[in-house]
Amino acid sequence: MTQFQIIVQDLTKTYRVPEREPGLKASIRSLYHKTYREVPAVKAISFRIEAGERVGFIGPNGAGKTTTLKMLAGLLHPSGGEALVAGFTPWQRKPDYLRQIAMVLGNKSQLMWDIPAHDTFRVLAEIYHVPASQFDATLGELVDLLDLGDLLSRPVRNLSLGERMKCELAASLIHHPAVLFLDEPTLGLDVSMQRRLRKFIAEYNRRHNATVILTSHYMADVVELCPRVILIHHGELLYDGPLAGLSEKLAPFKLIRLALREPIDGNLPEGIHIVSQENGSLTLRVERRDTAAITAQLLRTLPVIDLSVEDPPIETVIDQIYQEGAI
Amino acid sequence: MLQPLRLIRIFIETSVRNETAYNANFWVGLLNSLLNFGTGLLGVIVLFGQIDAVGGWSFGSTLAVLGVYLTVGAVRDLFISPSLDSLTGMDGEVWVGTFDFTLLRPVDTQFLASVRRWRLFALFDLLLGLDVLAAAVTRLGTTLTAIHLITFLVTLAAGTLTLYAILLAFSGLVFWSPGFLFSWVFDGIFQMARYPVRLYPGALRLLLTWIIPVGVITTIPAQALTGELSPVVLIGSLGFSIALLVGASLLFRGGLRRYASASS
Repeated sequence: MTQFQIIVQDLTKTYRVPEREPGLKASIRSLYHKTYREVPAVKAISFRIEAGERVGFIGPNGAGKTTTLKMLAGLLHPSGGEALVAGFTPWQRKPDYLRQIAMVLGNKSQLMWDIPAHDTFRVLAEIYHVPASQFDATLGELVDLLDLGDLLSRPVRNLSLGERMKCELAASLIHHPAVLFLDEPTLGLDVSMQRRLRKFIAEYNRRHNATVILTSHYMADVVELCPRVILIHHGELLYDGPLAGLSEKLAPFKLIRLALREPIDGNLPEGIHIVSQENGSLTLRVERRDTAAITAQLLRTLPVIDLSVEDPPIETVIDQIYQEGAI
Repeated sequence: MLQPLRLIRIFIETSVRNETAYNANFWVGLLNSLLNFGTGLLGVIVLFGQIDAVGGWSFGSTLAVLGVYLTVGAVRDLFISPSLDSLTGMDGEVWVGTFDFTLLRPVDTQFLASVRRWRLFALFDLLLGLDVLAAAVTRLGTTLTAIHLITFLVTLAAGTLTLYAILLAFSGLVFWSPGFLFSWVFDGIFQMARYPVRLYPGALRLLLTWIIPVGVITTIPAQALTGELSPVVLIGSLGFSIALLVGASLLFRGGLRRYASASS
């Protein structure tokens, strides 16, 4: 029987947020009479994740991704539903549970700013009961994998964003967590730093069979790291499965790119939509099921130099869902 | 060593590293503490060089209250305030959402929130408080019996716990109103603990003893030192401190459930 590391059933979170009309009068009235509005952030979502899986949570801003992650990490109490992570109810925040997880928040720092990151690591080792020998070994591994080198002895304040983020990741892994929640870990980083962090996360997952749950607005993070994605929109789970499946389900078409010897002036076969046409290059959109037949027909009838068949860019697919709010 | 003690040790070490991170800040901080120590001591000497009694309290007894006030205040500045104050205010952890990391640690959140930052310059203030207490004992002219000393230490601990409980409760309110510095409200009232509660008019005296119990914090330990404390007040104040601590912990823990983090 499959052992699930994370089991989520009908997890729901509704925030109660204060509301205020614009203007001075409303500001004064709000001092003695506050009005609130119920905002549903997560609506009865359910899923299961096996140990060692890498799962990407995707969805537009305000979809409920971070709220879900924070409930699973035990930071927020849900308004309804249940969750079991590593056999524990997260929001009970039992020490045995908290020792098994770690969370990286791309826009918040857990490092002490005025002193080197190494000092924060030592405090964390004490908090998580990491024996000295294990601490040295783990730190050695992290220094090696993340190329931390002399970063550890410089005050955090003096590190670049990318350097700091590497230290944030290292700080989260000092205690060898079995479940890693990564909320926008590559936020604001340049492309090469993003790639290095992704490589590191994949390597950490492989070495330690850690379960990784990631949210990111950079699709490259999701494409490279997560064989499985969970799409959340308006607090509802819209899709749970492989990323390629999402593309197939949502975009039942493919793109055919052609390089032609000479421009064409005749009509194209039925069922082809021209996406772009420039000099000798042509991009066409065709129904996924007709791709093979149309490709053969194009090769037969047009002066083709080169031809490639592609899935639409994942950004386009995701944007379509974000815009339409449904699959 | 027990884990809480090991944690406190590493928090102290890290706080020293933080305070010495910038040379200029360290020396200015040291100078500031020495000046506070000097002017505080001078103030006490000047004030009480002029008078013999205040409101029926002898000079020695009043000095004892001031000594307790300074000692308890120093303990507050040593770690209670630096730790708890980092939760509150507009740049506080609850407001900006970095309290997430405190909640993620496999250690009791109240303990962690209460002891993780130390301001060691407050040791000078502690020294001043102990000096004033020593001067009070000398001035009282009575022999300090073991019973008096033990009762004093117990009530001093109870007073410190009471102060901690009040500050914890005020900090806990941050979960109901993130960003607001509730401890400011208390600061003004705590100043009144500098003098024996008996100096204040009747209703205010009751208020300061049992409602906002600054009296329990300073006057009762001072009475224990001078041997003027009745067993009923001793037991009552101890019970009161414990009840207040339990209440404050419940409030703080209840607040944790309300924590909504900050949006990403």
